[in-house]
Amino acid sequence: MSDTEGRAAIDAAGVELTYSDGTAAVRGIDLEVPEGEFFGFLGPNGAGKTTTIKTFATLLSPTGGTITVNGFDVQREARAVRESIGYMAQETSVDLELTARENVRFAAQAYGVPRDRRADRIDELLDLVDLADVADKRADEFSGGMKKRLDVATALVHDPPLVFLDEPTTGLDPKARNKLWDYFQRINERGTTLFLTTQYLEEADVLCDRLAVILDGEIVAEGSPMELKRQVGGEILDVDLDDPEECERAAEIARESDVFESDADVAISDDGISVTAERAREHGTDLLVALRDADITVTGFNIRAPTLDDVFLAITGERPDLDREGGGDATTATEVTAE
Amino acid sequence: MNDDNSESETRTDGGATAGSEGARRSSNGFLGDFWVNFVRWNIKAVRNPFVVVGSLVQPVIFLVLFTQVFGQIATGAISRGGAGISYETFLLPAIAMQVSLAAGAASGIGLVNDMEEGMFEKVLVTPMSRTAVFLGKTAAEILRIVVQILIILGMGTLLGANIATGIPGAIGIVIMGILFSLWFVALSNIAAVVTRDQESTIIGANLLQFPLLFVSTAFLPLEFLPGWIQTIAKFNPVTYGVDGARALMLDQDVMTVIEVSQFGGIWNTLVPAIVVLLALDIVLGGAMVYLLNRASSSAVR
Repeated sequence: MSDTEGRAAIDAAGVELTYSDGTAAVRGIDLEVPEGEFFGFLGPNGAGKTTTIKTFATLLSPTGGTITVNGFDVQREARAVRESIGYMAQETSVDLELTARENVRFAAQAYGVPRDRRADRIDELLDLVDLADVADKRADEFSGGMKKRLDVATALVHDPPLVFLDEPTTGLDPKARNKLWDYFQRINERGTTLFLTTQYLEEADVLCDRLAVILDGEIVAEGSPMELKRQVGGEILDVDLDDPEECERAAEIARESDVFESDADVAISDDGISVTAERAREHGTDLLVALRDADITVTGFNIRAPTLDDVFLAITGERPDLDREGGGDATTATEVTAE
Repeated sequence: MNDDNSESETRTDGGATAGSEGARRSSNGFLGDFWVNFVRWNIKAVRNPFVVVGSLVQPVIFLVLFTQVFGQIATGAISRGGAGISYETFLLPAIAMQVSLAAGAASGIGLVNDMEEGMFEKVLVTPMSRTAVFLGKTAAEILRIVVQILIILGMGTLLGANIATGIPGAIGIVIMGILFSLWFVALSNIAAVVTRDQESTIIGANLLQFPLLFVSTAFLPLEFLPGWIQTIAKFNPVTYGVDGARALMLDQDVMTVIEVSQFGGIWNTLVPAIVVLLALDIVLGGAMVYLLNRASSSAVR
């Protein structure tokens, strides 16, 4: 990347997208993604992640602001942008009636991979996503994970310098997910810029160099996973309670008592409370005593460093859907802030 | 928006940036884009037995059963004028148009299927010319119509139908079938873009087919139909396709919905039929292109 040093893969300023029915899906996003970065766009469902990524990928026209992708304006030079990006939609997009090889070949032709390189390139990609053995089987025989991997191969066929991945692992089992993560990291190591949207903090934490958190069409936080975690401040004290009905009262006690000198954020989860405070370790036992005095039975106790999950909770007031198999039952937590 | 008007831009240094030794684009050009899509839709058609064979089943059943069940009565009726035309010969051009109609319906179903599989969007995000994408798909569908009409004409001939104008006439019937299919291709694609739902498109396209066929000159000459059907038949595109094909089949001026005489012989049928169908193709085709362009610049679900 010598000749393009320091140039941004994505440079977006004041991007807005309001649908014809008046819904403002994206409300003034400024973003710069340098070349080679693994960038994550994190947010809950409906936050505007997909709308933003589609706008960057020329599938939607912004109603305000400017976007440059690989140096090309997405509206005036849409074709040049399309030639220079790979895009993987949230819904797996493969032609089920074609074989794996035919799917990749179609993409190779669509992106104009030179004829003499095509066959090698197709083999190389099928190899990369571990589908070489089933290359001549039709995609409708594939499992969800295999289809997704085939989708990845077709998005990379022209070796684009920038690849958009819209929630690439949503709905996959952990094994299939880890496999994809591995490809993404490999591609990124080779110098490809990756722009990934996800609602999984773990995914963002493992993969991304830098993150933006999007909520209601606006970026509400930006930084490396480490920086974001640091923003939460302090440590986290998770207290599990015997009786979930007592959570409200326990939270009240944690908030009211002088234990944390009023610098604590108290959140209620499904089976207990989480207290974020500067000196949680030091004062944790005091809280336990206070709870016992109030006749609340504590069944578990843990002090830990903040995760992106906590960052997300602090910013959005919502616990994201962390549990892949379990669906949305982790999203019910509400934030209670001690003032 | 981001549709075809962006194609005039340079596509030279599209991927020449950013690093990797990569498999960069060598300009495909319009024909290349067209060919890629033409090939894809042909593979899909061959792969899917329902598309080629399945859509022939109904017309074949109609051809065989109608001629066997109604053949005797109908041959008598249509030959009252003394023309001595068998019902097989009379019906065959109508069945050829039925094939076109069914293939036209399948076009929209293919598009909606592509939308549901995400392939529509996947194609839109490639640098291919969108016009070439849709032309390639339509060309594959037209190829299918040609093959299917030829099969039907062959079967009809085996059943005893006689193409009075011979091989050139058979080619003419195929061309009439293409001309006739395009407005329905457009209509089913419009249904696909508007509903974005496979069931609605299939039901819409199929529900339309049969009434359209029956309230036309497809199965009986206009004068044998009740007054209200005669009235509707005049405005039914199927009448024009069938009359055009039938004129070639019988080597006669068969059109009675529009009477012209200045062109001579079968051209008195062919000219008005072609004019009506072309006009319809252009109007509905234009609407389809407009809607597809709009759909492709806002492909979000």
